[in-house]
Amino acid sequence: MKRKLALAMVLAMTASMAQPVLAADSKTTLDVIISQYGTQTQAWWSQFEKDFEAENPDVDLNIEIVSWNDLYTKVNTLVANNNAPDILNIDVLADYVADDLLMPATEYASEDLQSKFFPAFWDASTIDDTVYALPILASCRALFYNKDILDEAGASVPTTWAEIQETAQKIKDKFGDDVYPWGIDMTTDEGQAAFSYYTWNNGGGFVDENGDWALNSEKNVEALNFAVGLVNDGYTNSDPANETRYDLQDMFGASKVAMMIGPNNIPTYLSDGGYDINYDVTTIPANEGCESVAMGVCDRLEVFKDDSAEDQDARTAAITKFFDFFYDDERYADYMVYEGFLPTTQTAADLLAKDDDTFASWIDILQSCNFYPATKTEWADVKQGVIEVEQNALLGDDVQTLLDDLQADIAG
Amino acid sequence: MKKKKPFAAVEPYLWLLPSILLMTVFILFPIFEVFRTSMSEVSKAGLIKGFCGLDNFTKVLRGSTFKLVLHNTIVWTVAVVVISTVFGFILALVLNNKFRCRKAVRAIVVFPWATSLIIQAGVWKFIIDKDYGALNTLLMKIGLISSPVNWTPTPQAYFAWEIFVGIFVTVPFVTFCVLSGLQSIDNSYYEAATVDGANYWQKLFKITLPLVKSSLTVSTVLNIIYVFNSFPIIWTITKGDPASRTDTLVTYLYKLAFYKGKSGEAAAVSVIGFLILCLCASIYMVVSLRKEEE
Amino acid sequence: MNNHTRGTKHVILRVLLYLFVILVVLVTLYPYFVMFTTAAKSRAEIYSTDGTLLPIHWLWQNFKDIWTLAPLSRYFINSLIVAGGSTLIAIICGIPAAYALARMKFKGKKIFLGIVIISQMFAPVVLLVGIYKIMSTFGMTDSLVGLVFINAAFNQAFAIWLLRGTFISISPEMEQAATVDGCGKVSALIRILLPVAAPGIVTALIFVFINAWNEYTVALTLISTDVLKPLTVGITIFNGYNMVEWQYLFASSLFATVPVIILFVLIEKHLVGGLTSGGVKG
Repeated sequence: MKRKLALAMVLAMTASMAQPVLAADSKTTLDVIISQYGTQTQAWWSQFEKDFEAENPDVDLNIEIVSWNDLYTKVNTLVANNNAPDILNIDVLADYVADDLLMPATEYASEDLQSKFFPAFWDASTIDDTVYALPILASCRALFYNKDILDEAGASVPTTWAEIQETAQKIKDKFGDDVYPWGIDMTTDEGQAAFSYYTWNNGGGFVDENGDWALNSEKNVEALNFAVGLVNDGYTNSDPANETRYDLQDMFGASKVAMMIGPNNIPTYLSDGGYDINYDVTTIPANEGCESVAMGVCDRLEVFKDDSAEDQDARTAAITKFFDFFYDDERYADYMVYEGFLPTTQTAADLLAKDDDTFASWIDILQSCNFYPATKTEWADVKQGVIEVEQNALLGDDVQTLLDDLQADIAG
Repeated sequence: MKKKKPFAAVEPYLWLLPSILLMTVFILFPIFEVFRTSMSEVSKAGLIKGFCGLDNFTKVLRGSTFKLVLHNTIVWTVAVVVISTVFGFILALVLNNKFRCRKAVRAIVVFPWATSLIIQAGVWKFIIDKDYGALNTLLMKIGLISSPVNWTPTPQAYFAWEIFVGIFVTVPFVTFCVLSGLQSIDNSYYEAATVDGANYWQKLFKITLPLVKSSLTVSTVLNIIYVFNSFPIIWTITKGDPASRTDTLVTYLYKLAFYKGKSGEAAAVSVIGFLILCLCASIYMVVSLRKEEE
Repeated sequence: MNNHTRGTKHVILRVLLYLFVILVVLVTLYPYFVMFTTAAKSRAEIYSTDGTLLPIHWLWQNFKDIWTLAPLSRYFINSLIVAGGSTLIAIICGIPAAYALARMKFKGKKIFLGIVIISQMFAPVVLLVGIYKIMSTFGMTDSLVGLVFINAAFNQAFAIWLLRGTFISISPEMEQAATVDGCGKVSALIRILLPVAAPGIVTALIFVFINAWNEYTVALTLISTDVLKPLTVGITIFNGYNMVEWQYLFASSLFATVPVIILFVLIEKHLVGGLTSGGVKG
């Protein structure tokens, strides 16, 4: 009896030890890092993992959700240790390509999938004619305004810079310190967005028509002076260098900020937060004689090379499966609605536009959006550089000098 | 007896071995990596590309930001350590008296130490906000102010608040150290002094201070190091903004490494910080260890 | 007359003492009051222009929700394992080292004490890449064991300096007597010295526990499996891309503070003398 028991135990132990070994032989493991878009991101991806593994028993997914606050720290540490995840969801791209770390998208994206993307998004990750990432989602920025506040102040919705000042003054006259007419954010979080809103709508921008850095252009100097002028004239929230867009969105919801430029998912944000205000959305005001330019933001899914993988073909095949599964129209559309973003595939967009008119109009705006020049190698420096310029300008430094220095530093 | 001698020679090191192993593997090796990185050319993605001598150091030292950041770091460290040590000491003296609910009060005083720094910093950021901050709400409800006050109109004001939060979380540690020291002082010292007609201040400076001094110096040295390298408070409240006005070396190098992809320069900054701390600590070591030998 | 003034002076001092204590308690508890009331508010109320001290509608649900929104109890257990484990290891490694430093004469003593201090001189943020490298060598990148060792190592300095001081302050005579009686050094240490040094050990214990309980940066980088995350890292789920869920973040942080307070209250009475003896020679 005792011997039998011992035998059974030994057998059980060997079985339990052998199992993972056997599994490792036949299974391909993929480490995936997904950035956290909302509190429920983890829940959605846990379900995804289950569904995917049920359908693809030969692939073992390890999906980790990382918050944006910590994403760069985590990824940088992994990359420095040659231990990058197989699939990474992030916004930056050029630095990894410079080190030849990423697989070209055509190697793992099925033709079927490639044809689904809006051409602009498929091209958005092109460096030297090679596409290095798939667009996971997009969002689009426009001007949100509180109708009640504008009505009460007898102000009209601004379409030009001069009208911003006019409307802001009227709101200030009516509400004094109780309402900030205009929301502006020049924080380390996202100060580059403010740079884009104002320079693009003044005919300037990060680069010139040849695609070279043109940070100190006349248009840019004028644009930043205008933006900082709004702050100095007291038209804005009190602390643009420290108040993030999320602070602004909450203050907008609380009727403390009357107008702000923000992403298309603000409605979801406001309803989730239990805010009840009467607001509407319109195009971002441009300077006199300039056309309004909307801003798009696009995050990516990148695949890192893994020279240590034993079976490269099996790995690539598993990655292809992953993307086919993720970009499945129904599932992908569900994720977009879930997180409140805009799809990057035509097919999912059609699906969503069918049921929801606002989605349709946002997707229209998205077609004409400008994006950050994130494929240029110096982007990380430029991004931090313009934020520093903005913050120094807020402290009273001369915009022209600051931008000249930055341009010299970058294009030097 | 003779046989034992070789063993006696290595014996102390055997006692030290577990500790040495633990620190060498998990801390000294990573420290070595920092030195290596500080003298390497590192790609933006974080890969080491080769040796570059002191290039990273010259790059860092050339920038005007570094001077500003170093200045901030010194102000931050000195202010937090000095004020929290003095205040923590006074608080400990007070809490050493007998009064009602003393036990509860002592437990409450430890609270800020027991909560993680990120959360503490987050709450204070929330409290001092002009627009929805709890402090303005409180003061307005009490009737002390009629409209919201902007507690952080300038970078200097922000920095002062950060120093306040730094003090707030450091005081419990100091109080805790001094208090347990005070409690172990034999009452007979004070009784004898009272008989001799010594007043409160004389007792404080002649008996109390000398007796808690050395425990205070150990905690102070560690405090200097921890505060110098403290990251969460400043990062949570201002991220060093605007334009590095509230950066200390650690938040500055964090941005260099993880926001600008300059890991080499970031490592150089931390080596410089290390050298500064080393200088301070070796002065302390020389002084305190010499005393101990006397 | 003299007695009278002394009495008045005494009363005034008492009043001042109580005022001071009350002020300190109020300021200390204020952030917790804010955390507690904010945790029970809706986001709309948190940001409302017409700020409220107490929630208009107490959303007790928030305190319940956090346990279902995230595997919070799992995170709790992980934190207990990491903090408990690293405290144990830090003390077990620290005691013999401190003993040798206090009782034996040998070459390199000062160098060792110096290295102990040096080990504290880099912020963990800076060491991440190296820590990750060493951890992947041992295959401990995604494990609680790795965190236990890291936290134990980071807290060696305080444990060693404190325990060394404690041991120095205790007269070696008793151990010597025991050794003469045929008792080995190890058993003399365990049977004679450690009971006397209890306050110092307790102090080191609480210090290491608190530090490990609140460690964030290293855990964040090393742990990738959700069910292995300690509390500090786990609750960042409430700190999303779209918003900071203050109410959930604060609610879970309040829960996270409780174990440390309980620990402190439980062992506070053993603390007497721990730290002074840490420095003062007997």
